[in-house]
Amino acid sequence: MSSTTTPPQSQLSTALAKDRLGVAAVVFFVMSAAAPLTVVAGVVPTGLAVTGLTSISIAFFAVAIVLAIFAVGYVAMSRHIANAGAFYAYISQGIGRPFGVGGAWLALLAYNCFQVASYGGFGAIASPLFKDWFGLDVKWWVLALICWALTAILGVRDVAVNGRVLATLLVAEIVLVLVFSFANVLSPNFHASSAPVDVSKLVGTGAGALLAIAITGFVGFEQSVVFAEESRDPRRTVSRATYIAIALIAVLYGFASWSMISAAGGNAVDRATKEGPDLFFNVASDQLGSAAVHLGHALFLTSLIAAMISFHNIISRYAFSLGREGVLPRLFGRTVPGTGAPKNGSLAQSTLGLIVIVIYAVAGWDPLVQLFFWGGTAGGIGVLLLITVSSVAVIGYFARRPEGEDFWHRIGAPVLGTILLLVMSYLTLTNIATLFGVAPGSGPTWVVPVAFGVVALGGILWALVLRTARPDVYAGIGLGARSATSGSGGGGFAAALAGDQGAK
Amino acid sequence: MASSPQLPLADDLFLTAHDTVKGKSLLTPATLGLGLAAALIGELVFWRRLDLVDGKLALIDDRPTGDPATTAVLDQLLREGHHRAIRDWISFLATGIATDLVERRLSRAGLLHRQEKRGLLGTKVSFVPADSMVAGWPATRIRTYIGRGELLDVSDLVLAGLILATGLDQHVFITLDARGREQLFDQFRRRLPAMLQDLVAHAEAAVGDAVMARRA
Repeated sequence: MSSTTTPPQSQLSTALAKDRLGVAAVVFFVMSAAAPLTVVAGVVPTGLAVTGLTSISIAFFAVAIVLAIFAVGYVAMSRHIANAGAFYAYISQGIGRPFGVGGAWLALLAYNCFQVASYGGFGAIASPLFKDWFGLDVKWWVLALICWALTAILGVRDVAVNGRVLATLLVAEIVLVLVFSFANVLSPNFHASSAPVDVSKLVGTGAGALLAIAITGFVGFEQSVVFAEESRDPRRTVSRATYIAIALIAVLYGFASWSMISAAGGNAVDRATKEGPDLFFNVASDQLGSAAVHLGHALFLTSLIAAMISFHNIISRYAFSLGREGVLPRLFGRTVPGTGAPKNGSLAQSTLGLIVIVIYAVAGWDPLVQLFFWGGTAGGIGVLLLITVSSVAVIGYFARRPEGEDFWHRIGAPVLGTILLLVMSYLTLTNIATLFGVAPGSGPTWVVPVAFGVVALGGILWALVLRTARPDVYAGIGLGARSATSGSGGGGFAAALAGDQGAK
Repeated sequence: MASSPQLPLADDLFLTAHDTVKGKSLLTPATLGLGLAAALIGELVFWRRLDLVDGKLALIDDRPTGDPATTAVLDQLLREGHHRAIRDWISFLATGIATDLVERRLSRAGLLHRQEKRGLLGTKVSFVPADSMVAGWPATRIRTYIGRGELLDVSDLVLAGLILATGLDQHVFITLDARGREQLFDQFRRRLPAMLQDLVAHAEAAVGDAVMARRA
């Protein structure tokens, strides 16, 4: 081998380009976080029962349009910044680091809401099924704790659900949702209802509640930009995947909800109250038979567990990246050397999950409505607020750095998106009473906004502390562990260089 | 003085990353690869073949080093003239190349031997330290120096840095007290050339990215 001739193909480029992702792969990753059955059979019927509002399909479409407009600037900005997976990177670089840290903490809380909500959902949904299938009378919190323990152990050992398993489950879920939805359309009780697509409901009372339920279904779409650096064509792959995922989610959820409500025979709200998450399966059962319903239930539970495990991993990795940046205490930036598991992030999430399950079990609160639905939609509101602030950040970023993007990507879409998102956020925050099905002004209506506000404020204050105490860490906020300038490279060595006493 | 000979940086890191009793790797293959990749680049810096400037490798001398492992990396660098980003090189060498080169160098020195394990799905070949004493050398040396309050040489400082960067410190430095740690960290800050500080920081960032991307 001569060292002077240049070979036609660079071994380095080939090796590093080996596992580049295409559009389909990115769409898969994004949709698997969105957990179709959990939304269609879990969130939507519970939402019907709690709020009494049926115009959910149009809400899915409305949210999809707003998110697609937001995504124009969001994806454009992802091409210019490092660490593009996290909202706080956008906020830090678009508005300012203190708000970025506030956003990072808020995101952590919102994602944790989903995680603990899924424990409640599993317990509540599995408990009657266990009675039906095995004749076992198991309390919801026993089942929730079993799932919790499984997630906690796998999390700290960093056993992920295999990508193929996740993909198979996702395809099975989508197929099942479609089969049940078409069965609904063919059912004798089916009367094409106009209520789910009634546009006027989007401006009436309760609009905010519908939008909050809908946005919960889309959570996960924001993860598409994480794959920018691993995608085949960074300029196109991610933007296409994002729009495709948003469109698929809207069509699938919108159609499924419409068919379910239409087939419920004009009393969807009453039936949802009585039957809960079974509604989606029951309305189609006369067409498909009980075997299909059992299959649906089984898949519902499996996919909920898979979603739980993946979401736990997302949260512990998120805490890990924040720990490495110094946005959370450094100890979150540690891993188990033998497995690469972000140990402390995982343990912290599990501890929180355990506390919430125990509190709900002891207080005797309802796991389905008060944990699964309230927790899930509260997480949805948190993500909506993050998206709104990120949208402002996109405008701020391109105002200072207009190079390389045209008017529509820099200003047109971001400004339009920001206005729409601000309206959505306002409607949602003022409609929490309707969303939760409680009296206006009662406890739960203010707990959610106050909790998000306090956590965000805590993050802002922490950033201000860092600015004076640790300017080197402050300077690296939002740049990711990738920014290996000495002192902000992330882990124990960076901390050692910076003279950080907290590094252990 | 330490009682054991000092090996090339990457060899020392390889041994440190292996359990002294069972010979098993304490790191995931991906993390070990990243650490060894940075260590081999560090050796080329010691050989005065490379500089690290603004995140890019700058070739300052293309003569072979006389050592097959580093010469192989140098040859590759010469062939791939378009690529100079340190992070690309760490990722590339970490795809198995660095581990392979270091395993071969240690085997030639008689410090590793091949171990075949027959499992359910065929035979797994791995290299384990030939002598459990040998595997413990580098870490013991560093701990001894720090314990006596003596200064580490630059190679051992980079080794200690990579131990932190790969998370091996949770095994190796667990017995260091706060004073020992502070002493080591002080040496990083004051005695490690900026170029090598950057090298270790890049290795650490690469390890973090691998964790984020679930490759670790």
